[in-house]
Amino acid sequence: MRANASPSDRPDPNRSDPAVQAVELQPYVRPRINFVQRLWRARLAYLFLLPSLLLTGWFSYVPAYTALTRAFTDWDGLNPPNFTGLENFQRAVTDPVMQEAGGHSAVWVALGLLLAVVPPLLVAELIYHLRGQKRQYFYRTLFVVPIVIPSLVLLLVWSNFYRSDGLINQVLGALHLSSLQHGWLSNPGTALYSLIFLGFPYIDAFYLLLLYAGLQGIPKEVTEAARLDGASGLRRVFSIDLPLLAPQLRLIALLAIIGNVQYFISPLVLTAGGPGNSTTVPALLMYQTATKFGEYGYAMAIAVLLFLVVVALTALSQWLSRGGAAQS
Amino acid sequence: MSRPALGRPAVVRSATGRSSLSPAELLRQAILLLFGLLALFPLYFSVVNSFKNPVQYASNLLNVPAALHPENYAVAWTQIAGPMVNSLLITLASVLFTLMFAALSAYAFALMDFPGRHLLFALVFALLLIPDFLTLIPLYLQIKALTLPSNYLAIILPTVAAGQAFSILVLRTAFEGIPRGILEAARIDGAGHLQTLLRVVLPISIPALVSVAIIRLVPVWNDYLLPSLVLDEAHRTLPMALVAFQGGGSATTSTPNYGALMASYVLSALPLLVLFSFLMRSYIQGLTGGAVKD
Repeated sequence: MRANASPSDRPDPNRSDPAVQAVELQPYVRPRINFVQRLWRARLAYLFLLPSLLLTGWFSYVPAYTALTRAFTDWDGLNPPNFTGLENFQRAVTDPVMQEAGGHSAVWVALGLLLAVVPPLLVAELIYHLRGQKRQYFYRTLFVVPIVIPSLVLLLVWSNFYRSDGLINQVLGALHLSSLQHGWLSNPGTALYSLIFLGFPYIDAFYLLLLYAGLQGIPKEVTEAARLDGASGLRRVFSIDLPLLAPQLRLIALLAIIGNVQYFISPLVLTAGGPGNSTTVPALLMYQTATKFGEYGYAMAIAVLLFLVVVALTALSQWLSRGGAAQS
Repeated sequence: MSRPALGRPAVVRSATGRSSLSPAELLRQAILLLFGLLALFPLYFSVVNSFKNPVQYASNLLNVPAALHPENYAVAWTQIAGPMVNSLLITLASVLFTLMFAALSAYAFALMDFPGRHLLFALVFALLLIPDFLTLIPLYLQIKALTLPSNYLAIILPTVAAGQAFSILVLRTAFEGIPRGILEAARIDGAGHLQTLLRVVLPISIPALVSVAIIRLVPVWNDYLLPSLVLDEAHRTLPMALVAFQGGGSATTSTPNYGALMASYVLSALPLLVLFSFLMRSYIQGLTGGAVKD
């Protein structure tokens, strides 16, 4: 009980108790207080926010601003940048390597979308239809355990599988399918697809749990009604589960698209974009343009273009999924 | 999938005697088990091959070797001991400071009233719209130009910043769910905001704090791009060391010491394995519960 504390000691006046507050305030101000005083009274709140705001301001907003503005300059990291208008963007869209990389990225995004949605959905359905909570919990856990494998280790182990003397070729040899053997990552025809399809069976723990929680959220009345109508198995999946999982599927599609447009760690670490340009994607070009060649302005233009693609694809997927939901 | 219960609407599935193993149930379990084990196969592959010498490795990639070669682990340890310590330090510090600053902000957003609250919250929310690749290069140059007291901070500070938006959003929701009566009681007892946060809000919110911590921990532990740009040789993290140890992917012609390489993979999976053996339940609940939905 600190009834005698002066009101200026209280940055956040207890609004649920206006009577007390009014009595305390009267000696200083009339019922209305001005803006500066309100700011001063809230100083503790601002103090609480200060570390977050400083850090995100300096390490998120400032670099984002740099990227967006320097994309229009000849910034090389050393000399003061000169404004060059749309020159960088023009160069990016007319560069044949960039066009090739864009094609790779489109394939990656399309196939990546399938890999992000289908396997987790299949597993979520299978787990959901298991009998018994304990059994469901066991399998849910089983599919989260692989998260302990560091993502770089997964890449490196898979690059090992893909070697010409690696596991995949050995298995093919044992199956008398030697004609299918490849240097998977060193052959320009297979390198890109090898990177895209790396990581079988593609069951992302987060996507799986999201879909499973969505299935659990389907009201019992709906599933019972469907069962009465004789809808079971695949028909149930398509006519009930998929429409009702639309929010989760939309989120996963969005995350997968955004993630794959900007992903370039496996080409960077395993193939350096090669052989030739066969695994080069725009995000990797952006990285190499900056770190290898020091053309920061041009790199930022590529980054901004990618950002625009992400925004456009996001809008498109929202629009499509909304249209799909309206139809059913 | 056969579902014979057409005429028995009221029966709740899993609670009946039918929870025995029907053929469909067996099939479901077989598929799930197969997929689950395939997902863990890279780990199995690393473990069995980490105990082989080059001759054993060349002759069979899948078997458990008859004669074990644990000395591979000694070789691997000389390569990754330092980076392992760096990674642990960077990850723990990053997650700790992420939680600390996010808790302060979340408290202000959830339980304090101040001018500009909505605007500032919108600024935090908008951070989610800034993709990493856009800021990567400017961030790298910005950090390079900064004189920091320790090279560790070159990655800890931006990592803490990158975790703020998500952590603040989740913690704010958790703090808003705390019954007002408890907060009022603390205030009547004379507790200021800081005391209320430390003595009341944080202890109640431990499940949410743990969820946020482990959800953030995984990407921080795995982070490769920015660390590889801003950290020097002495401060490099585990992913950087693993890439260096491998010596550049499958494109290289030289044959590395596979046993030691696999041993380094196994060692680098251990910290998360230990952590998740304790916290798996709260990780799953954090992801499936209200924490991350929508």
